[in-house]
Amino acid sequence: MPDAPVGQSKISFAGVEKVYSSASARVTSTRALEAFNLDIARAEILSIVGPTGCGKSTALNILAGFELASAGAVQVDGNVIVGPGPDRGVVFQQASLFPWMTVLSNVVLGVKCRGLPREDYEPRARRLLVEVGLKGFEGHYPYQLSGGMQQRVQIARALINEPEILLMDEPFGALDYQTRLLMQKLLLRLWEHFRPTILFITHDVGEAIFISDRVIAMTKRPGRVKREVRVQAPKPRDYEFIGSAEFTALERELVMAVQSEVEVDEVPAAH
Amino acid sequence: MGDVALQTAPKVAPSGAGDQRRERRVPDVAFSIGAVLLLLVLWYVFSHSSLIKAGYLPSPESLAETFIDLARNGYQGRPLSEHIAISLFRALAGFASGVIVGVPVGLLAGYSRRAGAMISPIMAFIRPIPPIAFIPMAVLYFGLGELGKIVLIFFVSFNYVTANAQAGAANFPIAYRRAAQSLGLTRAQTFFRIVLPGALPQIFTGLKVAMALSWAVVVAAELVGAQSGLGFMISDAALLFRIPVVYVGVALIGAIGLLLNFSLNLVEAKVVHWKGR
Repeated sequence: MPDAPVGQSKISFAGVEKVYSSASARVTSTRALEAFNLDIARAEILSIVGPTGCGKSTALNILAGFELASAGAVQVDGNVIVGPGPDRGVVFQQASLFPWMTVLSNVVLGVKCRGLPREDYEPRARRLLVEVGLKGFEGHYPYQLSGGMQQRVQIARALINEPEILLMDEPFGALDYQTRLLMQKLLLRLWEHFRPTILFITHDVGEAIFISDRVIAMTKRPGRVKREVRVQAPKPRDYEFIGSAEFTALERELVMAVQSEVEVDEVPAAH
Repeated sequence: MGDVALQTAPKVAPSGAGDQRRERRVPDVAFSIGAVLLLLVLWYVFSHSSLIKAGYLPSPESLAETFIDLARNGYQGRPLSEHIAISLFRALAGFASGVIVGVPVGLLAGYSRRAGAMISPIMAFIRPIPPIAFIPMAVLYFGLGELGKIVLIFFVSFNYVTANAQAGAANFPIAYRRAAQSLGLTRAQTFFRIVLPGALPQIFTGLKVAMALSWAVVVAAELVGAQSGLGFMISDAALLFRIPVVYVGVALIGAIGLLLNFSLNLVEAKVVHWKGR
């Protein structure tokens, strides 16, 4: 893994703007992102929180290469993103595992299609499945797994490419609270091992603080960076961190930042 | 790993196995059998009553006799099995060739916007035309032999298979496309490994319609111009006023259609094991 030049960030959003033009002339186009600037350091875990529709997923989609920025540029190691690629592993919120493939086939699909030999990828995939806690489930189909287990498969599928960047778009949003906490700890453990740079999108402020080195709160649409906080607690973190003085203070700060954006739109309550 | 322990992960089961409503005291199948029995009783009563002119509605037992006679002695010099086999051959040959051509064409039209733009308007025009309207053209260009009938059924099958394969490839979830892209799959790999299997549930919907129509159209084509087959048998028997033979023919057409659909359902449950889960 070649080191980036000193002072250069791994990921850089510079003046990124995204406008969705509407097909109908009577409906104005939607500005999802505006003057969005963000630098993410190598091996940093950065979370973006913000109200629904604030453009946080748009930012991730542009970095993933699924969408193009209307203005500005996103760079990885100084190279402008032109499309999706296995150097940026993606974990989606919705079920995106292929239901006709077993767990193992889902995990190895990418490496297999790039022509790697089976002796290389299959043992790696099996080890990875052990590491995400799915030993013995290699031959199962996605519909035979719980939501949490499906997300574990998605993580393994992204990690088998050994990406330097992991993009996670509300990956635990559909899971129950207990499973979500388990997954957050699993993610931190996997980070210890693989040390990828992680961009994590969530609407759960507590989740963002628990896993991240840095948390960004966004304004409502058009999305810009509103508040940035650094989480000082050392990793690996345990559940004791939740409810600690630092956690609570950060949580209050971020909740205020996000809620003030949400409530701008609300009808004012009777005073 | 708490969520791991919660899993019991059943092995692949045929569709419908997860139906929660099975717990009712009287199973649905009892109602199905009851309805069929009721119909048989009504039929028996009517065919033996004086309400209907003798000979117009054969009784169930006379149909059984006719069936045994046909099975033993055949019809118009051919064994009954040959009439069934030739109809099945025409229907299945046309159906299969329609599938072989229609699935790739439909998938391509659904996957590539340009191919879709070329194919869709033509297919949209042809689809509402009733297949039997093409029978005179099939006879004109391909004659009264086997080829004309197979081409006609090919055309019917191709139409419905293409439409469904196209819809299956076009409605394929964006999450699949993005996952495939970020895994580094090429366009061709995405097509064969993701789009094709992803469209299978919808392709099977098309296959079932195409199969049913192929069977219906072969009978229609045989009514018009044929010297063999179940369609020939019922139209010929009707001209000779052999009403029980007509009834046996119609019942056989129904039973075979049911059997074809049932076999396709079995294949579907095996191939598209993830459907509805």
